[in-house]
Amino acid sequence: MPRESLLRLEAIDKSFPGVHALDHVDFDLYEGETHVLLGENGAGKSTLVKILSGSLPKDSGRIILRGKQVEITSPYHARLLGIGMVYQELSLIPNLSVAENIFLGRLPKRRSFLVDWSGIYKKAQQILKKLNLNIDPEVPVRDLGLAEQQLIEIAKVLSLNLQILLLDEPTSALSERERQRLFKLIRELGERGISIIYISHHLSEVPLVGQRVTVLRDGKKIATLPVNEADEDIIIRMMVGRELKEQFPKEETSPGKPILKVQGLEIKGALNHVDFTLHEGEIVGIFGLLGAGCTTLVRALFGLEKTDSGKIYVNNRIVTIFSPADAIRLGLGYLTRDRKDGLIHPMSVMSNITLASLKGISRLGLLKHRKERRVGEKYVNELRIHPPELNRKLMYLSGGNQQKVALSKWLCSGSKILIFDEPTRGIDVGTKAEIFQLFNQLTKEGVGILMISSELPEILAMADRIFAMRRGTVTAEYRRGETTQEKLLKSVS
Amino acid sequence: MREKRKKLSTIKNNPKSPIPSTVSLMNQWVSMGGEVIRKILLKGGPIVALLFLITYLAFATPYFFTVSNFLNITRQSSINAILAIGQTIVIIGAGIDLSVGAVLALSACMSAVAVSYWGLNLAVGILLGLGTGALTGFITGVIITKGRIPDFVATLAMMTTARGLALILTQGLPVPSHFTALKLVGYLPAGLIWLGSGDVLGVPVPALITVAITILGWMVMTRTTLGRAIYAVGGNREAARISGISFVRTKIITYSIMGLLAGVAGIVLTGRLNSANALMADGAELQSIAAVVIGGTNLFGGEGGVVGSLIGAVIMGVLGNGLNLLNVSAFWQRVILGLIIISVVVFDQWRRRRFVL
Repeated sequence: MPRESLLRLEAIDKSFPGVHALDHVDFDLYEGETHVLLGENGAGKSTLVKILSGSLPKDSGRIILRGKQVEITSPYHARLLGIGMVYQELSLIPNLSVAENIFLGRLPKRRSFLVDWSGIYKKAQQILKKLNLNIDPEVPVRDLGLAEQQLIEIAKVLSLNLQILLLDEPTSALSERERQRLFKLIRELGERGISIIYISHHLSEVPLVGQRVTVLRDGKKIATLPVNEADEDIIIRMMVGRELKEQFPKEETSPGKPILKVQGLEIKGALNHVDFTLHEGEIVGIFGLLGAGCTTLVRALFGLEKTDSGKIYVNNRIVTIFSPADAIRLGLGYLTRDRKDGLIHPMSVMSNITLASLKGISRLGLLKHRKERRVGEKYVNELRIHPPELNRKLMYLSGGNQQKVALSKWLCSGSKILIFDEPTRGIDVGTKAEIFQLFNQLTKEGVGILMISSELPEILAMADRIFAMRRGTVTAEYRRGETTQEKLLKSVS
Repeated sequence: MREKRKKLSTIKNNPKSPIPSTVSLMNQWVSMGGEVIRKILLKGGPIVALLFLITYLAFATPYFFTVSNFLNITRQSSINAILAIGQTIVIIGAGIDLSVGAVLALSACMSAVAVSYWGLNLAVGILLGLGTGALTGFITGVIITKGRIPDFVATLAMMTTARGLALILTQGLPVPSHFTALKLVGYLPAGLIWLGSGDVLGVPVPALITVAITILGWMVMTRTTLGRAIYAVGGNREAARISGISFVRTKIITYSIMGLLAGVAGIVLTGRLNSANALMADGAELQSIAAVVIGGTNLFGGEGGVVGSLIGAVIMGVLGNGLNLLNVSAFWQRVILGLIIISVVVFDQWRRRRFVL
């Protein structure tokens, strides 16, 4: 028998100039249900939840909440209606304490205008305890790691006692253990009758959290099905709209001579005598939990962290790298963990692509516009960046396409040693496969790739060798096929 | 109904038809009009405002729409325009320079003192003034980047320092002052006065200098790697660094350019006033920032352009001139300028929300 819907969307339509983001989408949500929303980048998932959370107006369609039609006019209004959103991009204020962030905009007061500080910390403590989080509520948020911040973000929304939660890729920054904790929490919330709309790119998460799945593609709803009918292949086909042969299309290559060698690299308190070698045409994976030092290691290689001792060899020549400019000159490229740190949002797609290779497209400091255009077009076509407009500002591209631009930047600069920190973070399966295909092409051309990834399936499938890191030390090295998810996890924790 | 529509469309799309149907022509016009309106909203906000202003004033007062008045406006706007070009470059690099008025005065006093009291040759005097401006800007840039001090604070300090230095240099007197003038020594050379008050074939020299600087500024910002680096640093400092762009170098260059342009403006102003003094161009920094804002450059950096700021400065000049002709008091003029700045920013916000730019 059909259950009563708590929330029903009918024919929701939304257009942006040049894009039909949502095309008459229907959607419904039961009480206590977690409904997973899937789709490629730019399929309209984020637009849909933004409309529900009141941060975007819809063009047409009806929203029916508890049997009554509502018009959601602002995030505040959405909250009054019991709808709250956890943002994909963190929305915390770094200088304020955890407790202040949780209660931002509704700090408990004494005598109607003084902030009740002791009350606030006590209440925050309770909320954190409910989430099994061992975080001091008086600490400023900027002192916390990315994952902890993400959890605070969730705690903030949970503290509102809402009935509908919108989670937009909540696990993208979380480690495996934190992820499990979040899933458990979601199940508990469901038992308490709270409904959740959950956007994710991790297909493997779907059966762990959801009861039903809705797939969007190009702004249209493709299907809604119960989780037990939604097997991964079916979902991928629905999302991509074509058969995807393989998620990890790894091709065997034979590594050539060493191009990057690191000996005894040390940073006090962060890196502990790290040794490794990267060869031409090889993909080396680095796996570690958050705080294990993987990111610090690659930042040091790229001249972004000062090292205390150790030697770095590029092409068998000893080098010193003091700044990213040095690193780029030596043929290194670095794709940052957080896309925002590597791209210039108000600049055009083309300018972002050529930013690390300005020397190549200029003479005596004068830009060669025609050459720049040609180069930009080349990468937009090769990587299928959408929309294919060179002058569009980067900020108007979807996450996956921004990532492609970031990649193009380093391809354009002719890097022979590419360092990727979570190259597929927040990217859909279709684009992921495209990016891995590109890895193959690059390794064939003799490029060496150093890839940090917390995605076990991805690192196991793509990397020729895997280094496991824990507390700044390399704890194990495996060749491809030598290890399993369990073994790898054990060597880092 | 559907049949009818089909018929209509066949007529419209028939390539053999010798006369294009009026319907299709009109559609074309409407869609072209839409595109034009979109383009104007995207880029041409300031120029539309300027055209409206000119049209209104041309009807409101008979003295406005004359060649001599227009030349007058260009002369009046040029100082602010030159400063605004420099300010735009600084602001695009996510900075702000509050010291431009003071640096202008210091450079002007340096040139004037050099040529009238020290008896140096005109070219050397001018170079000394320009050098003073550029050096001050360079120092500001170094303080900001090496000292890791916010732009606002560093330039605020430079503002009072430069004024102080100018006062020390001139001992608080205008250059040349009435003491020296009486003794018939210390006149400003004719060449310096020509730079501020002369003309070439009827076009005021300051206007020519402004146009040249605008073209140069536009070239630098759109055609050079330096310009690209400035946009990148202003748009996202960290991402620029990772892309191999030096924050320190870029920032110092933007402030040096600003200082140099403040020097240019100082010399032009000295030529116009026939005199320099340590307190000249009071409030010029805020005027130049206003022109940048009216011209559509993002005050947080990374977006904008010098041409907009030129138009912004001209709007301010036309407005001041027109309001004078309409006998609006100088007090009210300030209020009106404030209202205009607010409405420009409100319009800009609306346009950014409404259109994907």
